Amino acid sequence: MAEEKKGRAVATKTAASIPKFVRGNLAATLKAKEEGKKVAYAYIADGQDEIMRAMDIVPAWGESFAGVCAAKRDAEKYLQKAESDNFSRSLCTYATCTIGFDMVREELGGGAVPDAPWGGMGRPDMILGSAQLLCDPRFKWPQATQHYLRDVPVFVGSMYYPPFDPKMDHHEQEKFYVKYATEELRECVKFCEKHTGKKMDWDRLAQIVELSDRTWDLFIDTYELRKAFPTPMDTGDAMNTMVPLTFNLGTQEAYDFYKQLYDELQQKIANGEGVADPEKYRLIWAAGLPSWFALGDFQYFNSKGAVFPVEVTYRGCEKIERLELPKTNDPLEHIAWRWVRYWTHWYDKARKRPGSLPKVERIIEYIEEYKCDGVVFHSAFSCRSWHAGIIHQAETLKKVYREIPILILEGDIVDISSYNEADTHNRIDAFIEAVDSYKKRMN
Amino acid sequence: MAELRDEKGLAKAERYYTDYGVRARELKAEGKKIIGYISALCPVEVLTAAGVVPFRLKGNVNEAITKGDAYMETIVCPFVRSVFDSAIKGKFNFIDGMVLPHQCDSLDRTSDVWRDYLNLPYFHFLNAPHVTDDPSIEFMKELLKLFIKTLEEYTGKKITDEDLKQAIAKHNENRRLMRGLYELRKVNPPLISGVEMIKVLIAAMGLPVDESNKLITEVIDEVKARAIPSNGLKKRIMIIGDQIDSVDIMDAIEGAGAYLVMDDISVGSKMYWQDIDTDKEPLQAIAERYLRKLKIPTNFVDTGGTYEDNLNARFGHMRRYIEEFKVDGAILFIYKYCDPYGFEVPAIKSYIESAGVPVLYLEDEYSTSTIARMKTRIEAFLEMMA
Repeated sequence: MAEEKKGRAVATKTAASIPKFVRGNLAATLKAKEEGKKVAYAYIADGQDEIMRAMDIVPAWGESFAGVCAAKRDAEKYLQKAESDNFSRSLCTYATCTIGFDMVREELGGGAVPDAPWGGMGRPDMILGSAQLLCDPRFKWPQATQHYLRDVPVFVGSMYYPPFDPKMDHHEQEKFYVKYATEELRECVKFCEKHTGKKMDWDRLAQIVELSDRTWDLFIDTYELRKAFPTPMDTGDAMNTMVPLTFNLGTQEAYDFYKQLYDELQQKIANGEGVADPEKYRLIWAAGLPSWFALGDFQYFNSKGAVFPVEVTYRGCEKIERLELPKTNDPLEHIAWRWVRYWTHWYDKARKRPGSLPKVERIIEYIEEYKCDGVVFHSAFSCRSWHAGIIHQAETLKKVYREIPILILEGDIVDISSYNEADTHNRIDAFIEAVDSYKKRMN
Repeated sequence: MAELRDEKGLAKAERYYTDYGVRARELKAEGKKIIGYISALCPVEVLTAAGVVPFRLKGNVNEAITKGDAYMETIVCPFVRSVFDSAIKGKFNFIDGMVLPHQCDSLDRTSDVWRDYLNLPYFHFLNAPHVTDDPSIEFMKELLKLFIKTLEEYTGKKITDEDLKQAIAKHNENRRLMRGLYELRKVNPPLISGVEMIKVLIAAMGLPVDESNKLITEVIDEVKARAIPSNGLKKRIMIIGDQIDSVDIMDAIEGAGAYLVMDDISVGSKMYWQDIDTDKEPLQAIAERYLRKLKIPTNFVDTGGTYEDNLNARFGHMRRYIEEFKVDGAILFIYKYCDPYGFEVPAIKSYIESAGVPVLYLEDEYSTSTIARMKTRIEAFLEMMA
């Protein structure tokens, strides 16, 4: 029996509507069959969101479902199921949790799975993966899933960006990276057309891409309101409010959600309402996916007067004008430029500060703009893509910026076996003391 | 010194294995540029064409990671951590530069760490794609051009198509010779043991291609001269995995009473089984070889057909090895924290078992501290097969 913990209280009303959003996404995958729609297993930050939306393909997000299982502390049964077929516990637990669920669903005939958190996901008609710099599971997970869903076709595209090299100008490289990414998106369209039996409506795609641009802009405008003192929203909420951007990009619902959040944050600022009372320390969540089963730890920070007005994690967009995207009439090329520039637009800045890195430059920018007093990273043992390199980021930050207090928490995204609440809270206590001393020193 | 220079074949391989890098040090002293690389994904032909010595970096299963953990998380592939630990301790202080191909997250996500802390005169991250379709080949060619440009800038030497063709010819010869040595494992019992073979494989990857070709030729001559033994009674085993670069697990398998007759590992058959086409434009041929022919789990394969078709395309070579080398059982030896291989385990295991060959799956941590445990499981596996 899963040990379900009471959910984390949220500071904004808008964030409180997220569970309904997530349930809606999961339910859509189960209802799709009745509505004659196709379901695709999909993975975030692959650049394929708008293609799916334009073709009425319902995305089933394994990362979201596994996060729900973790938050409800009900993932162990699926992790063990995957382990029973020799998937190592050290592999990405988003993947192994979802594969375990797939194995259970297949044993039950492929329909709804009783006792699945929030009803589970519908059986996919296709799997849309992506090979890239973001993570290996984005293309190994689809292959591994196909071992249990043998009739389900798999597409894997590519969405690369030039790696940062302080001695090399990346601008010329961007062109052939974008050309490649565009061609891979075109391959994705062809695959979707083949397996839906429908042709892409390019005008509709262009409208959806334009809506995504506006959503990116509105997201940043909204999140930048958090620079206010006291901050009206912190990372604890942002781990919820990332849902529409991450899983519903290209939909009006996502845009409307951020409009509502924007209005609420403005109101809170006008009322002087913060997250912690009083707000004593401002921190940045500098990297790492959260432990979905321990989101309450953000409240533990809050109880110490510490808030997170900004985070790198799930801030998966930027103001479009800051990316200086070349003009194109091809919506796929626009998507490609948007993603490539999303990653590379910190490069020039990093090159100007000897020894720096784009990721570190981003952290410095946020520290300065959001007036942060300390830096928190989370290292999840099952995920190399987001969490390998954190030590280097932390060391570089200290070297090229300043001796700001840094805490590296350790745990996992889904697997609760790695988590010790008392130990985590002890480490947070010690860190807060360090931040307090630092603030006094700086003042 | 005269004695060492007269050394040949297996004795030379033994020395190069035991004192890995000894020849590269000598070449460095002679003024050669030594460029380290990791993984079978590195197009060594380009390095040879540039006039530098490609030197494959290896880890050390016998040495605890003592310095590397200060720079690199323990969730990173233990092989990668071990190589970095060796590098940061100065074990490869003779290399002038390094190429890090984008094989997996553990290499990609730590590329800044390698570059910034080793601080070598030359460093290049080769951002090879995982997808292998036509646009990916074109993309890979652009990456190869960039790679060539960085090498030209570093060495001051222009790399021509003719240079590339000559390097391809030499490395194809290297692969042909090594396959010839593998042939000698087909007889029963094999003429060369698994322990001897891994030593030759490791020795060969630390040498310039001409010297590697000479070494393999000497070993073939020496092994061929051995008396053909009577029929062996032991089980014939194939090992499957990634960066297995020490004798320890090979010794455990053979010490448990089996013949190790074949491998599908990164320093072994993966390096040597597929040539580069010589009737194509060099960059096209190199791109195709490293994306489409090289059998590594990070080169994505999907035929567009049935799942069985995909399995045959991904793992069919393993079944061919089983037939050609008369394999009785396979050992799948995978490191913890390896997503590319870890996600393949159920598929590989069932694919090989469906051919009637039992599979033992072992998850390891790239450390000899686990060897006793591994050997017990191997013994049980062999007993089960008896």
